[in-house]
Amino acid sequence: MTEFLLTLAILAGINVLLACGFNLILGYGGLVSVAQPVFYAIGAYSSALISMKLGVPVPLAMILGALIAAIASIGLSLPSLRVSGDYLVIASMGFQLGIVHIINNVEITGAASGLSGIVSAVESPSRSMIYAVILMCICAVTIFAIRWLVTGPYGRAITAMRNDEDVFASLGRDAVRIKVTLFAVGSGLAGLAGGLYAHYFLFLTPDQYGIFSSATLLTMVVVGGAATVRGPVLGAIFLTVLPEAIRFLDLPIAVMAPLQGALFTGLVILFLFVKPEGLFGGKAGGGLDAWQGRDTGGSGRKGVK
Amino acid sequence: MDLTLDLAAQLTWTGLASSSSYCLFALAFALVLKVNRIWNFAQAGLMVVAYFAMFIAFRWLGLPPVVGAIFGAVVTILAGMALEYWGFRVLRQRNSSVLTFFIFTIALSQFLIYVAELTFGTDPKTLFPSIIAPVRLIGPVVVSDWDLIALSVTVMLVAALWLFLRKTREGKALIAVSDQPELAEMYGMNKDRAYLVAMALAAILMSAGMYLIGTKAAIFPATPLSQFMIFAVIATIIGGIGNIFAAGVAGVFLALLQSFSILVIASKWQILLLYILIFVVIVLFPQGVTLKFSKRGPARKAGHLPSADDSTEKAP
Repeated sequence: MTEFLLTLAILAGINVLLACGFNLILGYGGLVSVAQPVFYAIGAYSSALISMKLGVPVPLAMILGALIAAIASIGLSLPSLRVSGDYLVIASMGFQLGIVHIINNVEITGAASGLSGIVSAVESPSRSMIYAVILMCICAVTIFAIRWLVTGPYGRAITAMRNDEDVFASLGRDAVRIKVTLFAVGSGLAGLAGGLYAHYFLFLTPDQYGIFSSATLLTMVVVGGAATVRGPVLGAIFLTVLPEAIRFLDLPIAVMAPLQGALFTGLVILFLFVKPEGLFGGKAGGGLDAWQGRDTGGSGRKGVK
Repeated sequence: MDLTLDLAAQLTWTGLASSSSYCLFALAFALVLKVNRIWNFAQAGLMVVAYFAMFIAFRWLGLPPVVGAIFGAVVTILAGMALEYWGFRVLRQRNSSVLTFFIFTIALSQFLIYVAELTFGTDPKTLFPSIIAPVRLIGPVVVSDWDLIALSVTVMLVAALWLFLRKTREGKALIAVSDQPELAEMYGMNKDRAYLVAMALAAILMSAGMYLIGTKAAIFPATPLSQFMIFAVIATIIGGIGNIFAAGVAGVFLALLQSFSILVIASKWQILLLYILIFVVIVLFPQGVTLKFSKRGPARKAGHLPSADDSTEKAP
């Protein structure tokens, strides 16, 4: 039971990191990409493979994995300079599906059968407890760093760019640099989360990083309350823990997985209609309507720069 | 593999036949995007509804093919209209962002897939116990009954959609609403009704597509989301957002491309081509790959009501 709760806490912590990174891109930057899980995948596989194949110590492998994810984000931040709104959503989806498909088919990643034999980050009888404490510390540092970033002068510049990029650029500010930086930091955090996942769970499969994981992550950020510091954190914890509640029903795995999925997606749909402002974002905080009135209004006709 | 004339003929025929359902899915997706202005990723969920409604009709109730197919279409129409009425309309009234629609449509698709897995199991299923279709040799090309049925059904449905949009009052209202919803309302057209009609038409197209798929191969409940819908999205983008019939043509083109690509790349990499296409096309050609025609073809005409400019051109 304790082991289960610790594992759940670790998973929640990893999701907090993912959601915080995504919130920087989506909530504060207003860049509606859905490809965040692919940087999670890049970080996870890079870190795992670097430690397995090159014998690099795990903490260094995790940092390298995060760096590789941050560099890979350039592949997506460049299109964001040309298209936005619906178009960026679809372009990022193509980017994500393409990378996941490659992971799913090359030998070095273990292809569809998954990657096993990953080096554990902690070897100890209290492995889960140690890992949970380390992860909580990383989460705390990340949350405070993001809070410091978004409440300072740079945060105000990010918000100004999100609210009106043309005016922002006309004042001589560099929107390109901010976008590329946001993508790099947000994706780097996802990469770090991937490394942390890989070296605890010790098994990776490409199925974890598909379109549904995008929707899951989006939900954590947006239903929690996008463009707020606490919203995605609480959203990630809430939506990680809640579907696990039915594990106690002790159902067969063939029933458990779809039932958990149905419960999760059902909750998401319910929240969308009942609490569109976000569970923890507050009316003025952001949430689903953070982009209302912007060029992402769902028409599918705007967003080409 | 060397490309001989016989092989080229066979690949073309097979590609055309298998493009039929992809063409219908692309038309359904493009129609909802044009009229309702929504990237309807819930189309995958509606495809699941269509498939398993027909599965119940054929495998559980033992209904004949035509009756079962109509049953599936009716259930999907009702589901599609319910989605528009209780889902999209509410979000539209709230002026919800593109992300809200994205999350809602993906979550709904996934929800319906999970419900299908809980109800019918996770293993792949066909609509009929046997899916072997008689084949004949026409010249060097192997032609199956399924190929002929698939192409006939697709041609008939595309023609019917074209006639509906061009010749009926309801169809013209649909196009008017898609071009300028507020202006169309000022002229007495009910845009909410147009949205419902578009969903109903899309439901018919996707039901027919799923019938064709299920009479040829077994599919998993998740296949519509992981494969068919992605195909429809790419076809819609390549066709140029807003050009309904061009999306159908792009669907055929993509199926042919996939059919011929086995000559140069392994089948497992074929789908990667599509993902690369999504990314490249949307970034380099966000308005779609448009060809310059001196006159509008019938497909393009169907997507537009005559405007003042058109009248001027036609004036003597």
